[in-house]
Amino acid sequence: MRKEALIRWLFLGTAALSIVISALIVLTLARETFTFVTQVDLSSLWSEGWFPRRDLYDIRTLFAGSVLVTLVAMVVAAPLGMGAAVYLAEYARPRVRRALKPILEILAGIPSVVLGFFALTWISPEIVQRMNDEAALFNLMAAGIGVGLLVTPLVASIAEDAMKSVPTALREASYGMGARKVTTAVRVVIPASISGLVAAFILGISRAIGETMVVAIAAGASGGSLFSMNVFERGQTMTAAMASMAGGTDAVKGAGLTFQSLFFVGMMLFLLTLLLNMVAGRFVRRVRQKY
Amino acid sequence: MRIANSGSRRRTTAGRLVTALFAAALAAACGNGDGGRGLGGRIVISGSSTVEPISIGVAEQFDDLHPDTRISVDGPGTGDGFELFCNGETDISGASRAITGQEIGDCRESGVEYLELKVANDGIAVLTSPDNDQIGDCLTFTDIYALAGPESQDFDNWAEANDLAAELGGTRGAPFARAPLTIIGPGEESGTYDSFVELVLEDLAESRGEPAQTRPDYQASADDNVIIQGVEGSDTSFGWVGYAFYDSNRGRLKGFEIAGEDGRCVEPSAEAIAEGSYPISRPLYIYVNKAKMAANPALEAYVEFYVSDPGLATAAEVGYVALNEEEAAATAEAFQQSRPDGSPSPSLSGSPTAAGSPAPQPVGGA
Amino acid sequence: MNAASRTLTSSPEIVRARLQGRRFDAAGFFFRLLLLAAMFVTLGLLALLLFDVVSGGWGVISTRLGDFLTGKLGITAARAGISQGLRGTFFIGVFVVAIAFPLGVGAAIYLEEYAPHSRLTRFIDVNIRNLAGVPSVVYGLLGFAIFVKALRFVTGPESNGATVISAGLTLAVLVLPIVIITSAEALRAVPDSLREAGFGVGATRWEVVRSHVLPYAGPGILTGTVLSLARALGEAAPLILVGATTGYLSEGAGYSLASLQERFTAMPIIIYTWAGRPQPGFQEATAAAIVVLLVVVLLANTVAILLRNRYEKRR
Repeated sequence: MRKEALIRWLFLGTAALSIVISALIVLTLARETFTFVTQVDLSSLWSEGWFPRRDLYDIRTLFAGSVLVTLVAMVVAAPLGMGAAVYLAEYARPRVRRALKPILEILAGIPSVVLGFFALTWISPEIVQRMNDEAALFNLMAAGIGVGLLVTPLVASIAEDAMKSVPTALREASYGMGARKVTTAVRVVIPASISGLVAAFILGISRAIGETMVVAIAAGASGGSLFSMNVFERGQTMTAAMASMAGGTDAVKGAGLTFQSLFFVGMMLFLLTLLLNMVAGRFVRRVRQKY
Repeated sequence: MRIANSGSRRRTTAGRLVTALFAAALAAACGNGDGGRGLGGRIVISGSSTVEPISIGVAEQFDDLHPDTRISVDGPGTGDGFELFCNGETDISGASRAITGQEIGDCRESGVEYLELKVANDGIAVLTSPDNDQIGDCLTFTDIYALAGPESQDFDNWAEANDLAAELGGTRGAPFARAPLTIIGPGEESGTYDSFVELVLEDLAESRGEPAQTRPDYQASADDNVIIQGVEGSDTSFGWVGYAFYDSNRGRLKGFEIAGEDGRCVEPSAEAIAEGSYPISRPLYIYVNKAKMAANPALEAYVEFYVSDPGLATAAEVGYVALNEEEAAATAEAFQQSRPDGSPSPSLSGSPTAAGSPAPQPVGGA
Repeated sequence: MNAASRTLTSSPEIVRARLQGRRFDAAGFFFRLLLLAAMFVTLGLLALLLFDVVSGGWGVISTRLGDFLTGKLGITAARAGISQGLRGTFFIGVFVVAIAFPLGVGAAIYLEEYAPHSRLTRFIDVNIRNLAGVPSVVYGLLGFAIFVKALRFVTGPESNGATVISAGLTLAVLVLPIVIITSAEALRAVPDSLREAGFGVGATRWEVVRSHVLPYAGPGILTGTVLSLARALGEAAPLILVGATTGYLSEGAGYSLASLQERFTAMPIIIYTWAGRPQPGFQEATAAAIVVLLVVVLLANTVAILLRNRYEKRR
């Protein structure tokens, strides 16, 4: 059966390709990151701001931006996503569910540049600047809300899957004890699926940290920015700083270590999201094992 | 032994889809082969985002004449553009300042010889909100240095710059009233930032032993629209932007008059910039890779069109100050001189021919 | 409380409360209200987004849609068009379909049908899941280092590697893990009895996969792959790093194979660039470009979702 063996090896090859890709990602990032870390003046990693073209690589600035955007995004996405998930899993009648679920999936399919444009042209003037009239048109808050909207369907879909995997028997037992629907949802279904809900939350965070275009368009990121914790001002995240360094063209260049710093930021982003995804994966597996 | 032989020739749905799409791509490929013959060839243009609109405008007109040429234009910034250019990766680099010594060295190292052509003038307007009634209309370089120079970090009120301005002397606007100072300008990746530093701040900074840069704590943006919005956003804002953007948003902004060495306050205007009486103005250049131009007739024709009258007029159409006659003649002359035989390309006969046929000049050290 | 229950006499909650001999279930009512609010705020924002974009771009779409679709990049918003963006996006789609789909489905078949329960299999599986979570901008770095720099002689020696080949390959790599995961899920849904029936009559594994498993899982695989295609068409961040052109592109070689090695742009890049253009008219042009991209992407999504729903109902 030579043909069988051949086909088997062929499929194994396609599967093993993913390992090659991972290795290439790590190697690519590691090579330039090594150059950066060994050559950079370490004090510039802790200075007044992120100005890669002026050899000021304050990583706090980018972390602060990423944390703020992610925080705002999750304040939006967690209640909306979880709420939608509980509604779809526990309350919606099958017909309503069949109508609403595809709409959520359509929301999940909207490209991030579109949400960036929406964040800039609608969320910022209509929501953020009404919230705080000193807010700049380009601000981290609007970007965060945009990212939150982008992450909501992801959170909703994972959370709903987790709740759907709770056996109906548990719910029936609860009703049998005379519990109300809300009690059943809050005291039985949510605790039973808590690992999955936590996973949904963590994956939402990971996605929010990795989102680039919404922030690049709506947060007004450019060459650099000073360290700031004000969400109503313009700012940079790790991802937007990378897009801005790449400069819209083959300008992935620049004086000094600008080029290498791009990979350095990429490496940190990669490690951070990897960590979050692995933690989330652990929670997901816990749900699978339980039921 | 084997079953399902009947199905062995059946393809899966996905397989059929892939085949269909490939067929579609190939069909599309055959539909558009070599059309009319003409000036084929690639022209890759990068560099200053300020010069980008001029190069695009010229490319649009050139494409109408030579549809087979493939031009791409980007605008990452003057510095980034030179890095690519001196690496031999681009044919033309736009620049909103002259090439620097270090960049000249880079180009020489990799053997890139270039031709420098002045194609337009630009000015930088120093801005505030039209609602600003607390600050005077005219500023000197010293005033600007005291507000936005390297020693002004953390000043968030105009009055805080008064001590520094007094120490420097030669001010016009200072002493300033007490009013909140919010500063917004182009990020340091942009040519406008470089020019602002070089034209306004550098001399003062050097005489005081300070780095030639702006204060770091200002709102920086690569997007001129953001800067304009930022300037509008506060009554007593301070910003700067290329003259073109100021000119097309005059109603929303107030441009300071600037006093040069003669102490005369000059308003930013097209005439003042063309004649150089407005102190913060600058020429715009394109740099052309000579070796690539010699090897690529399309590139030569494009540059020839760029320095022709309709080409140079593009600058005014996109909001800059076009070269006056004298300057335009100098640019055309510089181009003709760079040609190996001094003759116009066959495609564009009828354009002025240079008198002599001088050998190519080693511009590398210019 | 009493007032509330009086005005809500027709609510089924109250009927249930009366039937159960209990008072109005306030906690349950408000919880439900909260959930509905979450659902409708989400849907409302989606509707607003669509309205914002369509109304913003309507001026362009209603007056010069033809010119807009066939025009090219430029500095005058009134003349600018998206034909080059559509071309780039089309070719990216072709690359994803031609490369990510077969490789992804192949890998999924291996993992679900062939792989032994070994350490290697588990490692591959975990690795694919982690790859799916890598931010797209990091894939851009990979694409820049590998396709634009290292493989420049293939992807476009005359264009510094910043070509649609590099872009297509980068996005194919980006969606590969997603294709594998969704295809594996579709394969997992195939009942084992089907496979056993095949093995029972002496078929080899490949014969079982080809004639039993794949036809059954086909619609599911197709749904997943179309969804990942839509994802690829909407990505902008990796293209920025790969070097998509933002300013101007000549018409050049059109849809020919030779044009694959030319500089390129794509719909999401056009939207990103135009959104930041200060010249008047570009905000409207951006909105119109978004409408076109949304039509393409959402059409793909809707087809995929409808396909899956039909197929789920049939089972």
